[in-house]
Amino acid sequence: MTTDKQTTDKQTTDKQTADKHIADKHIADKQKRSRWRPTRRGFLIGLGVLGGGLAIGIPLGLPALRLTAARFLDNASAPGVSEADPFAWFEITPESRLRLYISKVEMGQGVHTALAQIGAEELGLTVDDLEVVQASTRTGPNDGFGTGGSNSVSGTYDALRQAAATLRQLLQEEAAVALSVAPGDLRIQRTGFVVAAQPATGIKFAPLVARKSDWQIPETPAPVKAVADFQVIGTPAPRLDIPAKVTGEALYGFDMRLEGMLYGALARPPRIEAKLTGAAEGTAMAVPGVKQVVIRENFAGVVATSRAAARAGVKALELTWDEGKAWQQAEIDALVAIGEQGGVHVQREGNAARVLAGGATLTAEYFTPLAAHTSMEPPAALANVTPEKVTIWASVQAQNSTQSDVAQALGVDAEIVEVIPTYLGGGFGRKSFSEPGREAAILSQAVGAPVHVGWDRTEDLRHGFFRPPVRNRLAAVLDADGKISAIEHRQASGDVLFAFFPAVAASVLGVDFGAWRGGTIHYSAIPNRETLAWRAKLPVRTSSWRGLGLLPNAFAVETFIDELAHTAGQDPLAFRLAHLDESDGDRRMAGVLKAAAERAGWGTPLPAGRARGIACCTDTDTKVAQVAEVSVEDGRIRVHKITAAMDCGLVINPDGAAAQVQGNVMWGVGSALLESVTIQDGAVVAGNFDGYPLLTMKEAPDVEVVLMAASDDRPRGVGEPAIGPTAPAIGNAVFALTGQRLRSLPFKLG
Amino acid sequence: MQLMINGADVTVEEGGSRLLLWVLRDELGYTGTRFGCGAGICGACTVHVDGIATRSCITPLAAVEGKEIRTIEGLATNDQLHPVQQAFIDQQVPQCGWCMSGQIMTAAAFLNANPSPTDEQIVEAMGNSYCRCGCYVRIKAAIQQVATATTARKEALV
Repeated sequence: MTTDKQTTDKQTTDKQTADKHIADKHIADKQKRSRWRPTRRGFLIGLGVLGGGLAIGIPLGLPALRLTAARFLDNASAPGVSEADPFAWFEITPESRLRLYISKVEMGQGVHTALAQIGAEELGLTVDDLEVVQASTRTGPNDGFGTGGSNSVSGTYDALRQAAATLRQLLQEEAAVALSVAPGDLRIQRTGFVVAAQPATGIKFAPLVARKSDWQIPETPAPVKAVADFQVIGTPAPRLDIPAKVTGEALYGFDMRLEGMLYGALARPPRIEAKLTGAAEGTAMAVPGVKQVVIRENFAGVVATSRAAARAGVKALELTWDEGKAWQQAEIDALVAIGEQGGVHVQREGNAARVLAGGATLTAEYFTPLAAHTSMEPPAALANVTPEKVTIWASVQAQNSTQSDVAQALGVDAEIVEVIPTYLGGGFGRKSFSEPGREAAILSQAVGAPVHVGWDRTEDLRHGFFRPPVRNRLAAVLDADGKISAIEHRQASGDVLFAFFPAVAASVLGVDFGAWRGGTIHYSAIPNRETLAWRAKLPVRTSSWRGLGLLPNAFAVETFIDELAHTAGQDPLAFRLAHLDESDGDRRMAGVLKAAAERAGWGTPLPAGRARGIACCTDTDTKVAQVAEVSVEDGRIRVHKITAAMDCGLVINPDGAAAQVQGNVMWGVGSALLESVTIQDGAVVAGNFDGYPLLTMKEAPDVEVVLMAASDDRPRGVGEPAIGPTAPAIGNAVFALTGQRLRSLPFKLG
Repeated sequence: MQLMINGADVTVEEGGSRLLLWVLRDELGYTGTRFGCGAGICGACTVHVDGIATRSCITPLAAVEGKEIRTIEGLATNDQLHPVQQAFIDQQVPQCGWCMSGQIMTAAAFLNANPSPTDEQIVEAMGNSYCRCGCYVRIKAAIQQVATATTARKEALV
């Protein structure tokens, strides 16, 4: 016991020291180049930041690791980004427009629209009144967190409202002085204030800002609106990015072009562990269109006047590889092992081990395989490297880490590297890294011209990273009343967020909170609940994939709960409700379970050959329940309908939230029916969609979405939570229909 | 070599084996036509060739010489969005949007040939166009919207 405590304390101290060091360095780096002046109230205020007028920025605290992050992932709102620079800012342009710089990237989740709604609400304007601008690393906020984790709205909501309200108050008070009226006599419009009673009299924002050079944040916080007074938040808003996406005008990383640009292609390793040991030009320079061969440590690329020529050039290189081991999938899966010891407790309520020592009523093991992201736009970037400045246009979720990655690869100061995120043709975690950004930069530096690198589908499937394989073993004891008295969840996974962490940080943390996301047992009425996680180090790169561990873990937990319900001879809905207590979270979970069940007609007769299954999950404190209606046709599972109820607290854009549920459901169906990556002889087998087919409209179910009325005034995550319940709901429905219990994804009927 | 793209004559270098997709995107700057797989599987690169939905990533230039090529940039006429484009806005269909040019071009060609399709026909026609964001419910709704409007117009004329 003493030993345990000492170890824990030492780990905590080490971790805190490491955190503090990282934090100090981070803040020092940022302050060195900050154009911002901190204020007593925690805002940042800048004048002429971009040659424009007044700007108000919004800082957030540094993310704490382990526990805070874990709480965020499972139950709470988000960690922030950096302390010295804001994550978003408003700026008033010389044309008197209000511009909102957003560091969060638009990858189809509708974040630009949702954040604009929040800003517009407190300004008293509409979304259309704002100019919404994607920030780059130079022309906008610094966002060390990037875009992901379903936290873009929930993690910025308070700060963004405060900033908008404060900006409005500052401007309104000065406008009142300028116009010799009371602030309350003014009305805000798109480009300035007018006197409400005399709309011809007013002052525009730009001259208003020019009246003072010492703008100060007020001592008393600017009041924000009451939820009941919202006019923009909670109202369906047409997405700002959609018009350009139906005309083809939207620009993505793969679309970026510059005068005189060339195309780059890279040699790719023949196996997942292969290292380049020798590279020579071979006959590459003889390939028409090839301009240059670029060979560096573990890097061999060709620059040419067309993509086809660059790829032909790569084929003509002379390369030697240390190929590494010829891994087989079964060997990799075997590494994902739940040990007898060494698991890290990520949940311990009561003492499940003691109860289980008397014998489990039921144990079961589940498996989720490697899977790919296959964003429809493969990774791509354009780089323009000159001695003075490096510019990268990329579809990337983490522009800041790309900036440092590129700077390191080129041996230049990160100060001169600007990363400009474009629209992303899908992200899903895959674009948390931009390999093409780094590759294009190296090639551009070598050739002295802009270079575009766009991966093809084969590169995307074979040379990126994957959702890790996950193994879950659950055991539970049912008491005499058919209630769960104890449940233990043991989980092993390849790395998820550890892929972003330095090795030392990973070893201090011990277990990857991205991997066990969604794995804790959330039924509070079960007195004894434990979750233990094991880290599996794999030879294949794995990292964040939509929802991180949520889909694998919710699949396992919610299938097991269903198995327990049937073992207890109880209705799966009633069984779930019976294990929820009166806590706020559980009441919200009961709410979505009942709503989904009611809307799906749970318990009512279905046509012959069909059955329903139910499942739920919690993620970022959003509660989701889904009912699947399935049949089996010609030995294949057909999912007819998913009815989904989601309680994500305060909803900013209801139509956008519904779209995210619909999309997540399709991801869940795809994982349930289709998706797995296989490694054979050390290489990924699938080289295109023929080997990794995606769900199409043919297999896509109808989706009905119920958004619960907000039980409080907090927005929660929307982009990922609904990915959790789909696969177990389908599997549970198949069991109800056939009696066959499916414990591995993708489902294969016996 | 002469191509006709969105109603205009365009001269490109000789070389009939070059793939239409990359000529459109990299040589001519019609980047609205997207790359998804290079194998004719996903449909992101779909354009119209003489009105027929065609996967440009596997179509050599030689196959389209002298034919009318239409890309997403040429689908709207006189600043009036094509009804399918408008329906995709009305139904708020796109998420990431990368596949949407292909979805819209596929749907436009299909509805031109079959203005009042059944749901089964819609699924059959759109069932080989991938959308990773999973916008299928809304793609279907947008196509139904156009089909319903067409049917209503026809009935009004009768």
